[in-house]
Amino acid sequence: MEYILLFISASIVNNFVLSRFLGICPFIGVSRKLDTAIGMSLAVIFVMGVAGIVTWIIQYAVLNPLNLGYLQTIIFILVIASLVQFVEMVIEKTSPDLYASLGIFLPLITTNCAVLGAAILNIQNGFSFLKMLIFTIGSAVGFAFALILFSGIRERIEYSDIPFYFRGLPITLITAGILSLAFMGFSGLVK
Amino acid sequence: MKNNLSMIYILAIITAIAALLLSITYNGTKDKIEEAYRQELIKALNVVLPEHDNHPDKEDINIDGKSVYIAKKGGKLVGVAFKSTSSKGYSGDIDILVGIDLNGKVYGVEILKHAETPGLGSKIETDSFKRSFKGLGKEDKIAVKKDGGVIDQFSGATISPRAVCEAVNNALKFYSEVVVKNPQLIGGVK
Amino acid sequence: MKLSVMFDGIWKNNGVFKQVLGTCPTLAVTTSVKNGLGMGLATTFVLICSNIVVSLIKNIVPSKVRIPVYIVVIASFVTIVDLMMNAYLHDLHKILGLFIPLIVVNCIILGRAEGFASKNGVADSLLDGIGIGLGFTLALSILGGVREILGNGSILGFNLFGSSFSPAIAMIMPPGAFIGLGFIMFVISYFEKRKRG
Repeated sequence: MEYILLFISASIVNNFVLSRFLGICPFIGVSRKLDTAIGMSLAVIFVMGVAGIVTWIIQYAVLNPLNLGYLQTIIFILVIASLVQFVEMVIEKTSPDLYASLGIFLPLITTNCAVLGAAILNIQNGFSFLKMLIFTIGSAVGFAFALILFSGIRERIEYSDIPFYFRGLPITLITAGILSLAFMGFSGLVK
Repeated sequence: MKNNLSMIYILAIITAIAALLLSITYNGTKDKIEEAYRQELIKALNVVLPEHDNHPDKEDINIDGKSVYIAKKGGKLVGVAFKSTSSKGYSGDIDILVGIDLNGKVYGVEILKHAETPGLGSKIETDSFKRSFKGLGKEDKIAVKKDGGVIDQFSGATISPRAVCEAVNNALKFYSEVVVKNPQLIGGVK
Repeated sequence: MKLSVMFDGIWKNNGVFKQVLGTCPTLAVTTSVKNGLGMGLATTFVLICSNIVVSLIKNIVPSKVRIPVYIVVIASFVTIVDLMMNAYLHDLHKILGLFIPLIVVNCIILGRAEGFASKNGVADSLLDGIGIGLGFTLALSILGGVREILGNGSILGFNLFGSSFSPAIAMIMPPGAFIGLGFIMFVISYFEKRKRG
């Protein structure tokens, strides 16, 4: 039961994008079309999951015992960079279309604060391996949820009559703000 | 092959230099950082404990896995302090430090960590709210007025004060069921 | 040394408002001017140091491994800032929290390393770092100001409106960040589009 609550808390109540502000760059950059959003979401879920596991193991098996906690930032980001490189190669070979449509945003998963953020939060919250898995997957799913939801909305906005000076980034951000407001309604859901 | 080797070579050297630099910085700041955390704790302990002349942060005993800080005056025990938590905050855990005097009454409460709504739930950090717990013991109904207790809630923010009440009640429970019975303290505790 | 490099970074090429990079910390820590300033300056420090180092080593680093190398350089300076802030600016460190190590994934820094410092001399890279960093700090302070004034009735901690002012709390919370930045972008868009005629 505790685990289900942890999942709901990570994915919805404390949504990575809409309440923690992690993963904003791809959120704004990739959410123009629904299928790119879905492709990116899956890639992020995968990278976040594997990165979470590897960094957790490294922290508890290497960094803590050797008192090298201060090397966390460097080691974690290197792990993530390598993983993204690997995912890039795999996608390029298996789905060249997806590779082309994701473009520059695929290597940019490295600089996606959601991935590094989740890895660090796992350690800060002192999660056990199982809780870490649930928190990481939950957060990734939450990111995907927000991203896909938002791209659906943005596709609609394309057909709306937006006041001239609001077009582009301003209306996108304000819409995200309203979405964030809506998600605030989930506060207090997990007791 | 030579190309690959030189790539790894350069990356390894740069990483090694980085690690060295960081190790130096770490050792240089380590003490200052520890001191900063210590000062944080001391500040909080001074708020929640009765007047004392020892260093409670250095005189803590481990009771059931919890650090219990001891306050003494003139060598005699005057109070104890320890952390308590409630996970029922509006936005997550609320960690508090509770100081309890020899009569088993709350002497002071300090909020250590919270993520409550700024301007609303965050009012639990105000002095008037924290002071409202002073003198209460386990026989008192420590709950928000809405729940029939004696603690004022803030209009529009009941959940945060309610969580703090839970944390204080947990603390009093821990005190009366565990701390009081601890052999190391039997000497000066009622 | 081209001073224009520095001035461009402050506004014309502003990392947040024009390039739309580094949005995560921009939205997350701007609950007040002080927090925005603090984060901006910490990031500027990392940016200047990494720009200088990247420019210095640009000829020894093989192209294929340059991104990981830049990342190690940036991560090192971020860790140094993290440790120094924890030691000497402990309260600000507590407030900025998670977002200090996250400076390493601020796209602005890697972007400048790859896009400028790796192709220019040390002096220009230094100026670019200062310019872009100040621009970033400016952006954070402006958004921090908007959110603090509307959401808390204060600036840098000084109460502006007296106790009867009922602030729009939503501004300090997540929606306020998005909407605040959205409106600032709207204002900028208004003046720019008007200028273009």
